[in-house]
This record gives sequence, C-alpha cells and structure tokens, in this order.
Amino acid sequence: MRYAVKVEGLGKRFRRFHGDRPLTFQEAVVAGLRRMTPVEEFWALRDVSFTVFPGEMLGILGQNGAGKSTLLQLVGGVGRADEGKVKVNGQIGALLDLGAGFHSDLTGRENVFVSGVVAGLTRREVARRFDEILAFAELESFIDNPLRTYSSGMQMRLAFSTAIHTDPQVLLVDEFLSVGDIAFQAKCLERITRLKKEGCAIILISHSAEQIEQLCDRAMWLKAGQIFAYGEPEVVAGQYVAEMRSETRKRTPVRPPQMTRSGVELRVNDNRFGSLEVEILDVRLTPATEIKSGGALRIDIEYLAERPIAAPIFGVSISHKDGLVCLDTTTATMSIPLSSIQGHGQISLQIDRLDLNTGDYFADVGVYEQDWKYAYDYHWHTYPFAVKSSIQTQGSLCPPHRWEVSKVTSDLISKHY
Amino acid sequence: MKSLSGWFAKGRLSQQIDLLHELVSRDMKILYKRSMMGIAWTLINPLLQLAVFAFIFQIVLPVNIPRYSSFVFSGLLVWNWFQSSLFQATGVITNNRPLIRQPGFPVSILPVVTVMTGLIHFCLALPILIIFIAIDGIAITPALMYLPVLLLLQFVLTVSLTYPLAAVNVSFRDTQHILGVLLQLLFYLTPLFYDISHVPDRLQSVYYLNPMVILVESYRQIMIHGMPPNWSVLGILSLVSLAILPIGHRIFKRQSNRFVEEL
Repeated sequence: MRYAVKVEGLGKRFRRFHGDRPLTFQEAVVAGLRRMTPVEEFWALRDVSFTVFPGEMLGILGQNGAGKSTLLQLVGGVGRADEGKVKVNGQIGALLDLGAGFHSDLTGRENVFVSGVVAGLTRREVARRFDEILAFAELESFIDNPLRTYSSGMQMRLAFSTAIHTDPQVLLVDEFLSVGDIAFQAKCLERITRLKKEGCAIILISHSAEQIEQLCDRAMWLKAGQIFAYGEPEVVAGQYVAEMRSETRKRTPVRPPQMTRSGVELRVNDNRFGSLEVEILDVRLTPATEIKSGGALRIDIEYLAERPIAAPIFGVSISHKDGLVCLDTTTATMSIPLSSIQGHGQISLQIDRLDLNTGDYFADVGVYEQDWKYAYDYHWHTYPFAVKSSIQTQGSLCPPHRWEVSKVTSDLISKHY
Repeated sequence: MKSLSGWFAKGRLSQQIDLLHELVSRDMKILYKRSMMGIAWTLINPLLQLAVFAFIFQIVLPVNIPRYSSFVFSGLLVWNWFQSSLFQATGVITNNRPLIRQPGFPVSILPVVTVMTGLIHFCLALPILIIFIAIDGIAITPALMYLPVLLLLQFVLTVSLTYPLAAVNVSFRDTQHILGVLLQLLFYLTPLFYDISHVPDRLQSVYYLNPMVILVESYRQIMIHGMPPNWSVLGILSLVSLAILPIGHRIFKRQSNRFVEEL
C-alpha cells in the first residue's frame, strides 16, 4: 500500500539568540551586528522516522517541549527541516491553532469561506459543503453575525467544523479535545473516527495516554526531540503513564551534569532523579571499591539543604547489578527520627556485616519527602562496589556457614519404623 | 523560483485563484467594515492631495503645466498604488502568522494579495481620473489600450520589491518605518506634481534610475499625450523586475520559514 506520510531521519535545529538580540535597525546600529549570531544551537528534533498509511492513526505522546508540535509543523510543510525528509501523499488538513486565522470583523460565513479556501478548497467546494459545516457547528442562526459576537466556544466549533470538512487525506491534530463542550467533543471524535475509516491518515498529538491508547493504531513517545518509544499504543502509552506518574520525574529540574566531591558524575534523569530541594553532595563507601564478603561497609552521605526541609527520609539500597535488591533500609523503617534539616550535614549508614556473594553491586542512595511523595535526590546505580568471597557458592548471600556431618545411628532408623 | 512555479504546476490553479480572490476580498471587506466611509477613503485621499497640489502649484507657486489636474491625479494614483502596496506588504510575514502556519498555505501569495488589493483601489479611482481627463478636454485615444501592459508591469515590479522588504522586516521590525521615510523622499523625487522637463538635463538620466519615474511617465504618455510608451525603456524595466523576482522570492521563503519557527 502507498504510504500517506513518510518521515525519514527528520532533524530540526533551533537557534537560540542573545536575549537582547536587536530587533530593529536602530538597535542593530547601536549594538553592532555581533549579537545577530546565535549563541547556541540545539536539536528540537533528531533522527525521527516513521510511516503512516491511509486509514491509520499515529498518536504522539510527549511532554511540553519534546518536539511534538515542531514535528507536526514539519509534516505540514511549515518550516524547513535541517535533516531528513518528509513525504506526504494527498491533501493535508490541520486541526492546529484552531480559529487563529479568523477575523473578528468578518461574519461567520465570510470566515468559513476564507479558512476553507486557505485550507485548500476552491470556493465552489466550500459553498457545496457550507450547510454541512454549519449544521456540524450548530451555528445556523448566527452565521451572518460578525465573529466578534461569538463566544470562544462558538468560534472553536466553527473552526473545527470548517477544518474537518476539507476532505483531507492526511489530518494533523493537536490536542483537539480541548474544543467546546463534552457533547461537541464526542461529535468531533466520531467525525475523526469516520475520516479514519474513509482512509484518512491521522497524526494526533495528545497529552492523554488514554486517548492515544483508545484511538491510535500506533504510538510514538517523543522525548527531547527523539523517539523514545514507538510501537503498539498499549505498550507505549503504558510506559508513558508509568513514567509520568512518578512525581519525582516531574519535579526533576534540568541541570548540567555535575561531580560529587569524590569525582562521580551525576547526570539528571540518567543516574540522578529528584527535585533537588535536598542535594546529596557526596557519597563515600568505606572500603571504597572492594569488600570481603562478611566484611563491614560504611556509607557516608553528605547533603545540602538550601532551605529547611522537614523530616526527610534517607535511604540506601544495595542491589546486585542484575537488579536484585539485597538490602533496602531507610531512616524511616529504622525509626530514626530526623527533625528539620538545613544547610550542610552528613548522615552515615554502618553495615556491620555484608554477607553477600561474590559479584558487582551498587549502593543506591536517596533522600525523600517525609510522606514518600517524591525524591529530593536519588542517585541510582552511581556507586558501584565489588564483593569478593573466599568461598565459591551459588546464590546471592554468602554468610559464614559450615556443613556438619554426624553419624545416623541404626536405633533411630529402627525406631522410626 | 521552483516553489513559485510549483504552485501553478500542482494543477490547482483554480484553487489558487480562489485563494487570491478570497484573501483580496477579505482585505476589502475589512476595510469597508472598519471605516465609516469605507472605500470612499481610497478616493478622498488622492483628491485631497490633488486639491493641495493644485492650490500650491497653480496659485501660490504657479508652474506651467497644462491640464494640471489630469497630470497630477494620474501621477498620484500610480504612486499611491505603489506606495501603499509596498508599505503594507512589508508586514505580510509578521502580520500573518496564522496563515503562514497553515499547512499547505502558499506563503508567496501574500504580497500578491496586497498588490492586488492596491490594484483594485487603483481601478476604483480610475473613473475619476477619466472624468478629469474629460474635463481637461483630452481626447481618449487608442493608446489607452496599453494601460493593462503598464498595470501588469507595475504589478510585477511592486511584487518583486515587496518580497525582499517583507523578508527584511522579519529580522528588523522597524523596516516599515524606515521604508515610510524613504518613500516620502522618493515621493518628492518622482515628478508627480512637477514635470520631468523641469529637472536639469544632466540629472534626468539619474532620475530615470527610479523605476517609478519610468512608470509615471509612461502612464501619462498613454493617457494624457495619447502616445504609445517608450517600449525599450519599459523592456529594460521588465527585465530588471523579472531578475529581482526570483531572488526576492527565495529570501522571502527562507525568512517566512524562519519566522514560523521562532517562538
């Protein structure tokens, strides 16, 4: 089957300029032309490839700034890609910036004609669909009034109705369910489903993973301009929800990688999560890298709280590199009351015996909000250490142990019988 | 030029014409609705200008130009079309973000819409010019049939100038103000209310570097003097316009792309 939209290796670079880049000749003359050059470039989209066939709906999930709208614009031929290609078969319809092109002094009828023709119809085609557009928008009695007399809901309905009646072969939709009331939303949804059945390829942006799961044949999760997950909507939406639910991630600020005092690199959203209201500045393991099985391990945690934080919980978990959690202990479970903390401080965990088997382990260290709502700072798989045992065994534990063999007496056997 | 020919090649020419029609009539309707006198303003403005020039150059500082009303009014109509189109088209990218963000919208049509709207105003005022010509006792000659050629040439020239201007306005938002000042100067340097024969001979060749001088002279040639225009000069002007057009168009496309990407 011939594709409707094919995107190959799409990349879009944005340039950030000086905040005080001159916007007029006057300023440019005063400032000199040096500020005209961008200070920074970043990829708003990179390596994005996908294909949508007629009758298929692709849902795009992602947080604000992930590049969803940029992607939709490029597919719509608005703006120019720096890398890769977009190929589209058929006329594109768009439910983007609904009603932005309307003029408040013109009547509803005049606006329908302008936006219908702007969307690619001829005047005759608009005229032929006019009654249908009107009926769908439920605005028959207002259509010859100036648009400024319409409520914003009425304007949205008219804009949606016009856009949806342009018979597109490819439809681009940005968060359409914010249109009008619930009844109208249901109608919009039904109309979109019908277009899809008629063979229209649809690309839908949504914040709602549920919506994507219900409507789409395929889903894509964009993260920082790149495809983070692509495939079955159930799977992608599931992953998306799982991540979004975690309050911690939402609160994790963007911040360049930084080093602990001992020289371990911390990268936000990679090995470091949390709101950073309390920061763990340094974590020292003693002994540093290799422990004898059954030996002691001390973990010193240095922290900094800029503002007072009430009753935070510190936690350490030790896990095997395969993922098995061997020890998980917190100040809360051990009923260590911590009052409010502020400024620099240190807290230590002394493990007298670490009876683990030979292997590579991580100490994951975190400090959490008093009700476990989210993490202030959590360093995941950042502090590795190895355990060496003199005994060869299977399993994860290697406590001191011995076998004792005693003689089984014949009386006991006979008694038993 | 590729995308310029692209919009005709898509086989959607009738759609493009409808688009032009809708956008021009939108502009006209907005103009009607915004001002109480609506379209009358497009006539009142040059008439007032004419009255002032007639007062100054017939009574205060008399100049010896026969049929002065027809002479000045023809010049003013031609100039006003040029000036208002150029001035308004300079803002077409920055003022039409919603249209530019519409997938599939041919951005290049926007300056054409502005110049077309100006042409319609020109045509609406044309009967008044004809009346002045009749009052001044000038015979309408077959030379008037060259009018569409001049209109077309002025149309292309204006569009080809608006492309780069609208593009520059994306980077420097005061382009329109500067253009206003420059047009004001050019207004006096174009023989609208005086005759080019008043200009010293050695400066006349410099004068003809201004394309509006060529156009205004040609309009008067066919309407007042009843003679065909100077084709060779018009030929050069056409070539120059056609040479600027693709370059300006390319800059225009690039800047309009850049503009929609800016947040």
